[in-house]
Amino acid sequence: MAIKYHWPLPSRQYKSLIALQILIALATGFLLFNSYGNLIGRDAGTALLVVMLGLKVIEIRNERDYYLSCFLGYFLVATNFLYSQSIATASLMFIVVILMTNCLISVNDNNQVLSKQKQLKMASKLLLQSIPLMLVLFVFFPRIAGPLWGLPQDAHTAKTGIDNKMTLGRISQLIQSDAVAFRVKFDNEIPPSAERYWRGPVLWETDGTTWTELQFNSKNKKPTITSSGQAYPYTITLEPHDKHWIFALDFPTNLAKVQKTIQTHDGKLQSIKPINQRVQYKLISHTQFEFNANNDTHLDRALQLPEGQHARTKQLAQQWLQISSDPQQLIQRALQHFNQQNFFYTLSPSVLTGDTIDNFLFESRRGFCEHYAASFTVLMRAAGIPTRIVTGYQGGDINPVDDYLIVRQQDAHAWTEVWLAGQGWIRVDPTAAVAQDRIELGMDNIMPSAMRAPLFFASSSQLIDAWQSIRNNWDAINNAWNRSILAYGPELQKLFLSSLGMTSPDWQKMTIYLVVLFNLVLLIIVAFMLYNKKNNDPIVATYQQFCKKLARFDIKRDNHEGPLSFANKTKTLLPHYQANIETITQLYIDLRYGRQQSSLNDLKQAVKQFKPKKTMK
Amino acid sequence: MTATLSQLFKKFNQLRGRRVFILPTRFGILYAAFLFLILLAAINYSNSLGHILCFLLASMGVLAMHYTYNNLAKIEFLSAHADPVFCGQDIQFKLLFDNQSNNDCYLIDVATKQNTLKSWNPFKNITGFNYQSHHLIEQLSAQQQQRHTIAISSKKRGKQALEQIRIASRFPFGLFDTWTYFTSNDKAIVYPQAVGDLPLPISNEQGQYIVGAKTKGLDDFSGFNPYRSGDPIHAIAWKAAARDDVLRTKQFSSAVSGNIHLSWQDTAQLKDIEDRLSQLCLWIIECETAGLNYALALPTELIDYSHGHSHQQHCLTALALYEH
Repeated sequence: MAIKYHWPLPSRQYKSLIALQILIALATGFLLFNSYGNLIGRDAGTALLVVMLGLKVIEIRNERDYYLSCFLGYFLVATNFLYSQSIATASLMFIVVILMTNCLISVNDNNQVLSKQKQLKMASKLLLQSIPLMLVLFVFFPRIAGPLWGLPQDAHTAKTGIDNKMTLGRISQLIQSDAVAFRVKFDNEIPPSAERYWRGPVLWETDGTTWTELQFNSKNKKPTITSSGQAYPYTITLEPHDKHWIFALDFPTNLAKVQKTIQTHDGKLQSIKPINQRVQYKLISHTQFEFNANNDTHLDRALQLPEGQHARTKQLAQQWLQISSDPQQLIQRALQHFNQQNFFYTLSPSVLTGDTIDNFLFESRRGFCEHYAASFTVLMRAAGIPTRIVTGYQGGDINPVDDYLIVRQQDAHAWTEVWLAGQGWIRVDPTAAVAQDRIELGMDNIMPSAMRAPLFFASSSQLIDAWQSIRNNWDAINNAWNRSILAYGPELQKLFLSSLGMTSPDWQKMTIYLVVLFNLVLLIIVAFMLYNKKNNDPIVATYQQFCKKLARFDIKRDNHEGPLSFANKTKTLLPHYQANIETITQLYIDLRYGRQQSSLNDLKQAVKQFKPKKTMK
Repeated sequence: MTATLSQLFKKFNQLRGRRVFILPTRFGILYAAFLFLILLAAINYSNSLGHILCFLLASMGVLAMHYTYNNLAKIEFLSAHADPVFCGQDIQFKLLFDNQSNNDCYLIDVATKQNTLKSWNPFKNITGFNYQSHHLIEQLSAQQQQRHTIAISSKKRGKQALEQIRIASRFPFGLFDTWTYFTSNDKAIVYPQAVGDLPLPISNEQGQYIVGAKTKGLDDFSGFNPYRSGDPIHAIAWKAAARDDVLRTKQFSSAVSGNIHLSWQDTAQLKDIEDRLSQLCLWIIECETAGLNYALALPTELIDYSHGHSHQQHCLTALALYEH
């Protein structure tokens, strides 16, 4: 800035100013430390970098400062990727890198010999030329699994997703979000929507309002699950949600293949590390299963209800129990109750106060899956049937563009499982009793149009369809981007290189391939750089063709020779072609030096017809 | 067949060209350090785009090397020419450069060897330490020849060679420094310094000329001539120069002409050979300015009476190359 306007920078002799600079730097450090608690984490480090760069730019004194600012700028681009790796960010950063490179050129060219456009063109050209090299590096550079050192606490921002707690009376924010939870690619057939239950945390304990998971104890052991029916092999790409579980279609059978994951006693897939990066795993599921058919060690926990709460609900359950104590009939009665009484499925229920279950069942009667699952569980437990709440996702849309099933946060769902002797845990979805469409058509179809598309598109159904199709295409692109670029780590690299035909890729082999391919590509690019640029003037180019033809007879035009003297020399050496040589030379001189009466085509024709033969020499 | 082969070989040799050196600058090293940092961060956070950025910048660095190399590699030094100067004045070497590539070349630094500097730095040859930069070629257009003048201080009377020229460039990114050397055999003639206290030897045997002719000749203004190096400074038309920035020499015609024989012996009272040559040099200029006919007699050479620019140059060259 100071350079641009030729403002003088304060001289080094002003000690007070230097002191002020140091003071500002210290104050910045202190403030950052104060607000972030450290200076090396992701957020604090980036903030420090931004402040440093900002301060550096206003006191650029010499070439070194300039270069340092440019390089810091490059680094800042890298830190930006820690926050977002979307296609939009990548494109934007690409432009930033071009601009930074342009800065490097302009600091070298401080006499402004090159125009701004030329500088920009050169920077862009360099960048475009580096892309093939970059691709080779990207594919073959041996990847090291991070982290190298402990990741700071703030390495991953909080992500939305299902929690392992459920509180009634609070409107779930998830329903409002169309962020992708995970994507599924089925190898063969896609199960119908009503069977697509994606299992997450299972909730047992309740204090009346909040439902939580069962604490780990020694009685926990693997469940016995026998599955039957059609097998659905599929691959899930799970978006990071910072929690310890992964989702699977009820019920997966080949868990051994999923690394670093165990199945808990209630069927949840527990990951050892939190999922803070996109992960991919392959599973085979059967939608028909028997879960702990004979016994379950935690049945007592599935009957627990808080003391002195839900009085009216317990009373209702007692009434039903007096009519029939058959669990099947009790379940049917409860579902009928939801179906026939005045219950509504709504995404924006009124806020519940007091005893939320009683309040919902007898007063408001408006709610969505959480409300139905929780109140159904309380009813069943009060009637003596072991019941638990399963959270997860239900449904998902199929993207016709790439045939991926996309499960969004808005597909978050809660359903229940009851334990019946001899049959084990059976899924009962009380929401289905109220809103059949929610389960069979999926969330997207029952949402009000205003929630399905942005305001502008929501006005007509065609526009909504258009919006959906844009969204599908965009999602397919994003999906490809995620799968092939962002997920490219050590594992995917090995897979990919094996699929290219490299047998058991290790870092030595990769390095060899890397070096060979890198140099090969570099050679091609550099060769292009050297030869691609022929003289752009068509007149000169045509004349050079003529010279080339003569060069076959060892008649070479020296640097100092003008076209006329060259023609004279040639004429003596090739006397048979005097006329031709004269015409070509005259045309060339006319075209190049002034008199524009001749046309380029004449020259081209003349050169084309000029075919000296060796025998005539 | 053989002709094509030999042509190919020549072309290959042309392509290979001179030896062109290239090394990263300190900024290039800093750039590499930053890339390493980015790579570390990318690995630590398993950040794919961080990897991509690092690889992109690394590829850019490698290509930047070729850009810098190409900016210099196809430049050929053709010749150097310099007009004679008096010792103490700067020699204006006109260097002819030829850009044989199809791209424009930018910002090329021209330096010459400076033997006076001493350093213990073992890498002094690499860093171009004993080369003094003289000129910055801003642009050499593709397939063009250009003349660039560099001023080199003349050291002593005689022939002064340009010796080695070093051209260097960091364009366009400043990450690499590339340079190459040319050896030039072109020499400039350095006349002795035109100084001396002795009066013109007018009272010798050829003294048929009139005393005061010199002053009279100087007074008789006859017109301007374009300035040539070697013209006495006091003859420059400064007022005219102030008007249009062109240096001219005031020409004076002397009504009276005479003959002066300038002899080595006339300077016998000066002990030092260089002083004697300087004295002769001054006399020659004075005679020429006065429009007199003069002859020069050196122990090794005799130059007959004449006057005019070429005669003056002839005499001065004889002085410059005098060896006893």
